[in-house]
Amino acid sequence: MSVKVEVIEGGVPHNKIMIAGLVSTLVCIYLTYLNAYTNTEMFSFFGGLAVVAALIWGSHTIKVLCSYGIGTGVPSAGMIAFGSGTIAMLLATKYGMMAPIVALVLAAIIGYILGYVSNNILNMKIPAMVQALTEMAVVGALTVMGFAALISGGFTFAGLTTSTASFMGLPITSYANSFIGGGLIAVAFLLGAIAIQHPFNACLGPGWKQDRMLMLTAECGFLSMIVAAVMSFALISAGSALISLIIAIIGWAYTYSQYFEMSKRDAAAWLDSKPIPDVEGH
Amino acid sequence: MSAVAAKPTAGGAMNPTAMAVGVVMLIVILGACWYVSPTLGLTALIGIIIGGVLIGFGTHFVPVGGAPAAMGQAPGIATGVAMLAAGAGLAGLFGGAWAAEQGMVIAVVTGGIGGGMMMAITCMMVNFVYVFGMGIPAASGKVLNDPITGDSQAEYKSQGTEGHGLPFVSFVGGVIGGILGGAGGTLIYLELLSLYEATFPTLMSATTAQIMPVAVAVAGMFAVAMFLVNAVLTAYNITGTIEGPHDPKFKRWPRAIVASAVASALCGFVAILIVAM
Repeated sequence: MSVKVEVIEGGVPHNKIMIAGLVSTLVCIYLTYLNAYTNTEMFSFFGGLAVVAALIWGSHTIKVLCSYGIGTGVPSAGMIAFGSGTIAMLLATKYGMMAPIVALVLAAIIGYILGYVSNNILNMKIPAMVQALTEMAVVGALTVMGFAALISGGFTFAGLTTSTASFMGLPITSYANSFIGGGLIAVAFLLGAIAIQHPFNACLGPGWKQDRMLMLTAECGFLSMIVAAVMSFALISAGSALISLIIAIIGWAYTYSQYFEMSKRDAAAWLDSKPIPDVEGH
Repeated sequence: MSAVAAKPTAGGAMNPTAMAVGVVMLIVILGACWYVSPTLGLTALIGIIIGGVLIGFGTHFVPVGGAPAAMGQAPGIATGVAMLAAGAGLAGLFGGAWAAEQGMVIAVVTGGIGGGMMMAITCMMVNFVYVFGMGIPAASGKVLNDPITGDSQAEYKSQGTEGHGLPFVSFVGGVIGGILGGAGGTLIYLELLSLYEATFPTLMSATTAQIMPVAVAVAGMFAVAMFLVNAVLTAYNITGTIEGPHDPKFKRWPRAIVASAVASALCGFVAILIVAM
């Protein structure tokens, strides 16, 4: 039997964050589909916004789960989220336009079964376990899909495994120069896994405040988005990648300064120490 | 029960009903796999399940100390199960992947040796830090005598701690765990790689040489993901810390075998569906 160690005092209820996170993630991922309609790659940055939205939802789910003291450390939750999520995401990319929905359903099934396995077979008996693992698998799947859309401009299996390069004027299909074939998916995997587990790991304790943790999550998300936007220069046009990069940097600067403000607000006493003054007279 | 007195989560008890449900789930997934891909897919899935079970079982050997070990108050390596298992298993997986061309047996053995080496180096350096950096001897808190060397432990154990450092049996356990984890991870990778090498050319209408980057990346990504799922499930089974094969928590391994088999079968089935549908 387990006892809940921390309680949520005030703040937005978890279900509200879950629904808001899910809807905004799906909408943002689908907005990258404008690329296909307008035949540009300008809308790839919506993938990065989807990543940030999914991470905010996911880090709050980790807070709900890890409040019970699972005894394995907070990072393990991020690892299982992305482990199960990536598996679902890779299969879902085969379904073209339906990919985000398929990823959602498939990840939920995988997460539910893993939740049952850990709660019953492994005898964890944590009330929030099944729901939390289900949610985290979905977050993992949608985050990797958001990174895929940000870096390569699409989320279909064909788009993620091939790219067209020009060789002496003739278009040739390249498989190595792609999101999956080039191994960029591994970087996306760990960028997301670190960003999802860090905020609660850093903010937990008696002084935990919901808005401060979620702001840190957004900051981590935009920081990951900066790295992913830099990687996207390899696969999409430079102008589109630049748009993603600028949005990521603006988002990061804003969330970082906000997080800094909140940390000052929650600190017991904030003393702005000046440089050591020059003492005159000796 | 107060939050302080409550032991985190799982006890040692088995849940027979859930175990039976797990076995049924395993059979259902195997049946579904036989339905969608009777020969190629089913062979791959059985290999994946064996690999997953090796990872789940091997992780129980690794001496995990967590935060108490960092303060010298419990034996083991001072980090979490998921991190250690991922470190050892992925080191083995990379080693095995290099040898993938040499055939199944050599690659799996190479993967095992890679994981074992990684854990041996880690355990060695951990003891260096404990003995020469923190000035504490290695002593187990769970047994009176080291099961392998027979050395007495109690005299070296500080009062108020559960032991500290890395006794010889924990070192050996760590190496065994690394070998099993590395071999299991490599086995999953090889099974998926051979499946994708056989099916991707027709699926994507390209030559084998062209799709190799994609096959390697997808197989590697699935192997890493399955490795992490199995490692975290095992971490949940031993709830944080374990000293090695002599720890009473080690007796919980049957639960982890069933859990790893179900989880690997599920994830492996999804990985097979990518080419079977």
